[in-house]
Amino acid sequence: MSQKPPLSSAAGIAIKETYGPDDITGFDAGRDLGASAGEFPFTRGPYPGMYRERVWTRRFQVGFGSPGESNERIKYLVENGANGFVITIDLPTSYGFDSDDPIAQGEVGVTGVAISTLEDMETLYDGFSPDSVSYALSIRPPVSAVTLAMLASVAEKKGIALDKVIGTQQNDPFYQMSGGPLQTVTQFFPLDGTLRLCADNIEFISTRMPRLNWMVTNGYNLRETGVNAIQDGAFTLGHAFNVFKMAKDRGLDVNVFARRASFFLSCSIDFFEEIAKFRAMRRIYAHTMREVFGATNPECWRMRFSVQSAGNTLTTQQPEVNVVRAGVEALAAALGGAQSIHLCSYDEGHGLPTEASSRMALRTQQVIAYETGITRTVDPLGGSYFVENLTNQMEQAIRAKLAEIDGLGGMFEAIRHGWLENQINQARYQYQADVDSGRRPLVGVNVFQIPQSEELPIEIHKIKADEWGTKRSEYLKQWRQRRDAVKWAEAMAHIETAWREGTNMVPALMNAVQNGVTMGECNEAMRQAQKWSFR
Amino acid sequence: MTKRHRIVLAKMGLDCHDTGIVIVAQLLRDHGFEVIYLGLHNSADAVVKAALQENADAIGISFLSGQHMTQVRLLIEAMARQRMQVPVFCGGVVPREDAAELQKMGVAEVFFPGTLGPEVVARVSGVLDRGRAA
Repeated sequence: MSQKPPLSSAAGIAIKETYGPDDITGFDAGRDLGASAGEFPFTRGPYPGMYRERVWTRRFQVGFGSPGESNERIKYLVENGANGFVITIDLPTSYGFDSDDPIAQGEVGVTGVAISTLEDMETLYDGFSPDSVSYALSIRPPVSAVTLAMLASVAEKKGIALDKVIGTQQNDPFYQMSGGPLQTVTQFFPLDGTLRLCADNIEFISTRMPRLNWMVTNGYNLRETGVNAIQDGAFTLGHAFNVFKMAKDRGLDVNVFARRASFFLSCSIDFFEEIAKFRAMRRIYAHTMREVFGATNPECWRMRFSVQSAGNTLTTQQPEVNVVRAGVEALAAALGGAQSIHLCSYDEGHGLPTEASSRMALRTQQVIAYETGITRTVDPLGGSYFVENLTNQMEQAIRAKLAEIDGLGGMFEAIRHGWLENQINQARYQYQADVDSGRRPLVGVNVFQIPQSEELPIEIHKIKADEWGTKRSEYLKQWRQRRDAVKWAEAMAHIETAWREGTNMVPALMNAVQNGVTMGECNEAMRQAQKWSFR
Repeated sequence: MTKRHRIVLAKMGLDCHDTGIVIVAQLLRDHGFEVIYLGLHNSADAVVKAALQENADAIGISFLSGQHMTQVRLLIEAMARQRMQVPVFCGGVVPREDAAELQKMGVAEVFFPGTLGPEVVARVSGVLDRGRAA
């Protein structure tokens, strides 16, 4: 059986039979790539030496059930040599609800760990110090303001100076956009309040906790909705630039706050297009930070990003083939210069990953990092007629899309007015039409299928939602009985006052969590201060 | 000419992965269905209320983050309270062993990831046309 490959890239860029010198006329390696990696405009990579100096971080994603169970898992992984973790949070916590809120039914501990109290955060850090072990919390405001307050409080209780604390609070105001863009952000908290807390966090972190990463622009979830690589590059950069503008408007120094900004990106299956995307994004970022934002500190020109392989390229059919897809995507991410890589597990089309499938995802990366030899030289594809031409084309296309977003008044406005949602919906539907018609070959789905009877059996991660929910409800009931009711009421009142006075909310939230106020109650108090309710 | 099928589609609980259901909504519209899509974060009672108000012939829901067992149970219970009897379709990342249980609970069809558009239309139409003939 023969299957002719499409002759344009996934994003619609026409691909020629061969590329030569005419395809990169005017190419100036020093200007277009930087003299080497680690030099403006960083096309070849953000750091000198790249993987020769240090192989990308293979981060572990941890987080399920209770903080105690997650902490035990982290301890096990630390004993086995890991030191960086992405902590995934369950959906109720992500939306600012306590585990015993009726809305949390069936969701407690399922997609991540539940964090409702300061004690929960202390449990997560049991045996570890926040100045030596790095947790990246996948969290956005309003919740990231509360988790930041919890983290700062844990450091204080352990006697660690705030300026020594490491880790990441993702803090991207539009982070939950892996679907219905605006509603995910506006359903449970007013958008203006979310943006204010995002800025409060930037202010608090950049002045008090300078080693903490305050903003990871989440392009991954956006890409997962089905938009193409050009849209991915433009929406993600446009979004970050809008957040930077907000921080600058608050009077913060771009040379300080931008040092700790980074990106979380998807690497999809169209191999060279993804590599060109990463290279083009670094170049656009460097120019924009220097020329538009006026950053003079070279650290602020450097675009750093972590990559997760594209979950939406995985198939439920013949799931073992997903190991190959993730491997190809990891290779593209490494050739594109990623700082950290996390691969999707092959069973994600069936359920949440198991320990065995997570291990396979890690081993895939380790083969690429330690066996293939691609780490021996920086940007091995640099100077290829095809790759440089494609990088230039990606840059032009992303810049054109960025100009369109600027014309709408920036990314926040584009989101508010439904423009982004419209772009996403068109892209999604087109994608499915291409799969249905066979224009986009998908192995095991629309080509090379096998009957269900030949599919290999697959082990499923068991969800104990009801058990976790019950245990957490009992815990929170006791927590509420144990705390000092007078101090709790004062702290709640203080949240409302601070909100209305427009002061930075992080200190008020620190005071609150230290006096027993829960995650859900912090959020409720802030909603009330805005005279806003969704219930 | 027969009356067009009306279907209420919704996401339930806190899961916000809506790519699948948004595509299915458009797909069914393109094939002559009247689709009322309720968006994210609906409670079981809200879904049943909308389906009754819209006089829907069917309900379609989808899940990606592991809450399908709990939420489907809540939906079936809410339908029983309102004595609502229409086929329920469920799609998304659902383990096969759970799918069998969902069907025991009363779900008419479960759609796994990778199901192509024409198959979705054929199976939904099949169930509804059989219901109409009966």
